[in-house]
Amino acid sequence: MASANFLMATSAPIRFVLALGSLLLFGANLLHAAETIPPKPAGYFNDYAGVVSKEAALRFNEQLAQFERETSNQIIVAVWSKFPSASSLDDFAQRTYQVWQPGQKGKNNGAILFVFVDDHKMRIQTGYGLEGALPDITCDEIIRNEIAPHFKAGDYEKGFAQGIEAIIKAVRGEYKGAGKTLLEKNNKARGGFGLLGFIIFFFILMMALRVARSRGGYRYSSVGGPFFGGWSGGGWSSSSSSGGGFSGFSGGGGSSGGGGASGSW
Amino acid sequence: MNKTVLGCGGILLLLLIIFGVGGCGSYNRLVRLDQTVNEKWAQVQNVYQRRADLIPNLVATVSGAADFEKSTLMAVTQARATVGQVKVDPNKAPTNQQQVDQFQAAQDQLTGALSRLLVVVERYPELKANQNFLGLQAQLEGTENRISVERGNFNEAVKEYNTEVRSFPTVLLAGMFGFQPRPFFNAQPGADKAPEVKFDFNKPAATPAPATTPAATP
Repeated sequence: MASANFLMATSAPIRFVLALGSLLLFGANLLHAAETIPPKPAGYFNDYAGVVSKEAALRFNEQLAQFERETSNQIIVAVWSKFPSASSLDDFAQRTYQVWQPGQKGKNNGAILFVFVDDHKMRIQTGYGLEGALPDITCDEIIRNEIAPHFKAGDYEKGFAQGIEAIIKAVRGEYKGAGKTLLEKNNKARGGFGLLGFIIFFFILMMALRVARSRGGYRYSSVGGPFFGGWSGGGWSSSSSSGGGFSGFSGGGGSSGGGGASGSW
Repeated sequence: MNKTVLGCGGILLLLLIIFGVGGCGSYNRLVRLDQTVNEKWAQVQNVYQRRADLIPNLVATVSGAADFEKSTLMAVTQARATVGQVKVDPNKAPTNQQQVDQFQAAQDQLTGALSRLLVVVERYPELKANQNFLGLQAQLEGTENRISVERGNFNEAVKEYNTEVRSFPTVLLAGMFGFQPRPFFNAQPGADKAPEVKFDFNKPAATPAPATTPAATP
């Protein structure tokens, strides 16, 4: 109620400036994101280039999801055909990592294997928490000895199988898991607070509608934008409970300091 | 009469409380940002130290190779020694630009010497097949990348801190409590990029095409 009064009390030019400011901020964010950083991936194994069979992709995805359930480590694989950025691979990997945020908050135990098929380049980027289990040397060896030879022979599936296996082997034992992926945990929590969440949402909606009705309403859209712009929304919630479905990925807020290694084949 | 004095006093007290609370808020924010800057600075020191620690091992491995060019090795060792002489407090970010520049100049010299060394290594096939050297190279590459990441994070933190210190209501408070703007790492032309320390080890003699050696004139 107080906020509604406040909004009514502010003068039109101020409101205009506020709305413009938020629009600029939001727009700038969108622009920046659209430039190079790919959106957060839906799963653990993301073959955007289509180099492995659907069954293999699902198998790898489940293997990595299961690994998170057991150890809480979030290992992500992303395969593109072309390197999308004008900057260096290291820089791209770092910035993408900071957006996707694999690894649990506080543990930073994530890693991403980037592969660019046409460019014959790849990189393993490690979060702070896995720098001990996956030091640069180990990443380099995994790339050179486990993955690159198979990629060179054209057997991507074997390369990924070996690479994922090697990463898992190196990382296992570093952290303990909770028996669930983060997304599964979040979905459960969401289910429990569903009614409360709905009531809060309804309340906010009513407030916004009231304000909008009394003031002409254009401001409402700028308030609503960020609300619906969030990520990790439903989407995969239904599939996570049923066995054999696709296990979705939700980044835990991990951070990377640029560790890892790059290689080519 | 008495009533108006009381009223004025009340208003004054109210204003004082409001400003006091606001001041506490911005003071705490300044402290927090200052801590972040120091933390990022420590992280920068950490990764530079990591690189410095790799060098004795690297020098030992490389000099093991038959008749390795002495001048490049000397340059690396000397640059490493210079870096050791620049004293900065690893736990507190410096407040004057000169100190940062001096530190940066020494580190950049080492960066240059290292990248020259890695170019020279290209002429020694014996080294390029050495497992020990390959491991060191991967570590060095990762460290250079970490350095650029942490320097970026530091500059980001300084930017936020400086904005706060210089913006209006806080600037009075910052002056009162001695919060000074902090210097950035400035990206000198070319210095913002990690040196390219990549060689195509993954393509041994198997490549039939003439291996295009990078034009490596120091």
